[in-house]
Amino acid sequence: MSWHSIRIVKGSGGYGGPLTITPTEQKHKFIYVTGGERPSIVDKIERLTGMKAVDGFKTAIPDEETALAIIDCGGTLRCGIYPKKGILTVNVLPTGKSGPLQQFIHPEIYVSAVGDKQITLTDETAAEPIAEEVTAEKPKYETGKSITTQTQHKSIIAKIGVGAGKVVATFNQAAKDSVQTVINTIIPFMAFVALLIGIIQGSGIGNIFAKLMSPLAGNVIGLCVIGFVCSLPFLSPLLGPGAVIGQVVGTLIGVEIGKGNIPPQYALPALFAINTQNGCDFIPVGLGLEEADAKTVEVGVPSVLYSRFINGVPRVIVAWLASFGLYAK
Amino acid sequence: MHYITDFASGFMNLFQTGAKTFIGWMSSIVPVVLLLLVLMNTIIAFLGEERMEKIAKASSRNVLTRYMLLPFLAAFMLGNPMSFTLGRFMPEFYKPSYYAAMAQFNHTSNGVFPHINPGELFIWMGIAQGVQKLGLNTMDLAMRYLLVGLVMNFIGGWVTDLTTAFVCKSSGVTLSKKVALSSKSAETEQA
Repeated sequence: MSWHSIRIVKGSGGYGGPLTITPTEQKHKFIYVTGGERPSIVDKIERLTGMKAVDGFKTAIPDEETALAIIDCGGTLRCGIYPKKGILTVNVLPTGKSGPLQQFIHPEIYVSAVGDKQITLTDETAAEPIAEEVTAEKPKYETGKSITTQTQHKSIIAKIGVGAGKVVATFNQAAKDSVQTVINTIIPFMAFVALLIGIIQGSGIGNIFAKLMSPLAGNVIGLCVIGFVCSLPFLSPLLGPGAVIGQVVGTLIGVEIGKGNIPPQYALPALFAINTQNGCDFIPVGLGLEEADAKTVEVGVPSVLYSRFINGVPRVIVAWLASFGLYAK
Repeated sequence: MHYITDFASGFMNLFQTGAKTFIGWMSSIVPVVLLLLVLMNTIIAFLGEERMEKIAKASSRNVLTRYMLLPFLAAFMLGNPMSFTLGRFMPEFYKPSYYAAMAQFNHTSNGVFPHINPGELFIWMGIAQGVQKLGLNTMDLAMRYLLVGLVMNFIGGWVTDLTTAFVCKSSGVTLSKKVALSSKSAETEQA
């Protein structure tokens, strides 16, 4: 069996790359974890390289045998998980550095907005990632640490100083991480949702939508219908990615609550109704994080989809019962 | 001419309405969530992940701790998506169920503790902002969201045990219900 190298560049609006993928004796499989259908690039890569494609929703392959991961992530989790594991990642969507794991997304390991046209055969072979061996030469003082953290016998004052320094540094690092999270994930979504609200309220769409949404979201039967539809096992993986649909529908219901078209106590069952598909797109990746066997993934995907379907409507009803007395005047 | 100016001002109105909403959130939600994130991230950095792993090992035996206590703590301590990694201490059979419960805890606790899942905050915030607009306290809603979640996510995990058994039966696969005490490498060899 002969394998060929391919080169993948970013598509329009994409990020990262170009990546060169060279199948080897050990790495000659690649995984695709996309909600729903198989993207056409999977076929193309299979044809060009001679590698075997594996559907991540059906089965799993060990990380060290994975040459490539193909995903369709809008910027929440998946786009960072494979780069974090050190697996070359191809995103079908034009997602850049984003999500909670964005620090692992680099142009050397990740490329996005990839279609058929971005994939070409190449003669070059990918350089094997050489593990950087740090030679163990130990100078008297490490340059990375201050002298106070290195001296063997600490005086009490030094101990207090070091302790306080550690507390401050931990807080400071936490603050840096938090600001990054806010800038990279919360504020972009807020801008998108705020624009959506502007369009809904400023144009006439809001009134049409209110007529459509109020009877659905303003009573328990309608909410059960929403929850039922979202939990249908063939639909739920498609509604999941990035929780975008749930977040948009939630915002639309929120706008109607704010306008007084839907009573506020329905907020509680609505929270459950819009999210019965919770995590259905993420099952193989989540089970991967749990270090589950391939067999467990095969069983786990349909199992969780079924249990979401069984639970979906009861969750809405229980939430509705629990909403009695909420915001009662 | 009249119509054109009307159209133009109507068009701009869409963005002005959106901008007002945006800056409202920027001055109300963002600072609160940010400061909360700072404190939570600090606490988590001090407690450390090793302690969570010990709790995870102890919790895998009992159905209540497995699908209620552990996922709740994991969501609080590790958030989305790292909370899933604690599932590696579960026997294979229970991993899908832990996933099912865990994914939901990453949302239902998000109203009270937005540091858990800031990337998907608007599942909660989208609806809560409407309640906030009416001048009501969203914490009432957040508490009930958390409590209903606590019960129903547990049931969700439990039901997944049944569906896993069903799928196993129909596909002829057997998964171990015993905790694999061996290390990771031994597990993958088995597979």
